[in-house]
Amino acid sequence: MTAMRRRSATRPNRRRPAAPTLGSLLAVARTHHPDADTSPIQHAHDEAAVWHEGQTRRSGDPLLSHCLAVAVIVAGVGMPPPAICAALLHDVVDTPCPPGRVSELFGQDVADLIWAVRTAELSAIPLGSLTFDHARPAVQPTHEEAVLAIRLADRLHNMQTIAFLAPAKQYRKARETIDVLVPLARSAGLTDVSRELHDLSAAVLRPTTSASAVAPRLLTLLTLLLPAPQRARWQEEWHAELATLPTRRTRIRFTFRVLLGAPSLSLTLRRPACRERR
Amino acid sequence: MGSLRMTLQTQLVLRALLEDPATQRYGLELCELAGLPSGTIYPILARLEQVGWVDSTWEDPAVHEEAGRPRRRFYQITEDGAEQARDALAHAYRSRKQPLPGWAARPVSDGGVS
Repeated sequence: MTAMRRRSATRPNRRRPAAPTLGSLLAVARTHHPDADTSPIQHAHDEAAVWHEGQTRRSGDPLLSHCLAVAVIVAGVGMPPPAICAALLHDVVDTPCPPGRVSELFGQDVADLIWAVRTAELSAIPLGSLTFDHARPAVQPTHEEAVLAIRLADRLHNMQTIAFLAPAKQYRKARETIDVLVPLARSAGLTDVSRELHDLSAAVLRPTTSASAVAPRLLTLLTLLLPAPQRARWQEEWHAELATLPTRRTRIRFTFRVLLGAPSLSLTLRRPACRERR
Repeated sequence: MGSLRMTLQTQLVLRALLEDPATQRYGLELCELAGLPSGTIYPILARLEQVGWVDSTWEDPAVHEEAGRPRRRFYQITEDGAEQARDALAHAYRSRKQPLPGWAARPVSDGGVS
């Protein structure tokens, strides 16, 4: 949650969604809460714009664009204005903004949310304890649900713009995302968020050059021969091996050999376990 | 504990694992050590793991993150496995020395093939 981590960027040639604006944010908020007073959202946007003035991400985009993107995701899952304000202001703590100012202007609720967003241990949240009910957006989400929504939105936007982080950091983020955040998002019913988080992380964890995409795709298909509970492990293991092979030819050969061994592996794995492992 | 067929490939993999039993090795590395084509040893490793001769774990995050690549699956021979593997290899070696029925009279080639 530091300002450093925020300064990730999108590679210019990558497809990225149009930068959200205050207008689009308000439009999203209104679709879920048509009767809500949106003036605090505008106010929070202006406040964030003041404190993040001149700050940029690695892409050169203003930092404010990150706050807006996170707020749009939060609004998109049906969160009410206080949560959207907290999303807009979640990084002002890293600026010279005086500590009491947010609670003074936006209320203790919003200040508490921001504090919780920055300190919550996501791995400590039991799966399934929080659920978002899209059918009843008018129902007030609990404090914990709002915190989770903002954290997930923050990670989602950071993953969307992860390309410019150092590779080691990309891996760590992607690993944590796929291990902790994706299951949380899924169990909370945020299917789209969880799917996008998963796909973005998986792309980092299993990088494949487009020129030789045949081998990895074939490997993924091959895992279908294996018993379902074991697929993920072998898929990950093979992709890790594949990633270290230098040429297209060696990758194809590797894949071919795995293919030849797959029936035998499948048989082995389907044999009644002689010893319960794991 | 199930049975394990001591095929030539299995023996090669066991030898590779026994070369330095304390070292964790990943699949491609074992292929190289065993002199087997890459990608051929996963069924063998899975079987060895099933009978408890081999343990496997994911790579320590600190290592693969530093290297900027996906995590590897590491294999290591268990203590029990090492003992049994040595016995099995010795047994396989001995039984290979015994000539097949009918071959007994045949002289062992002394000149070798050149």
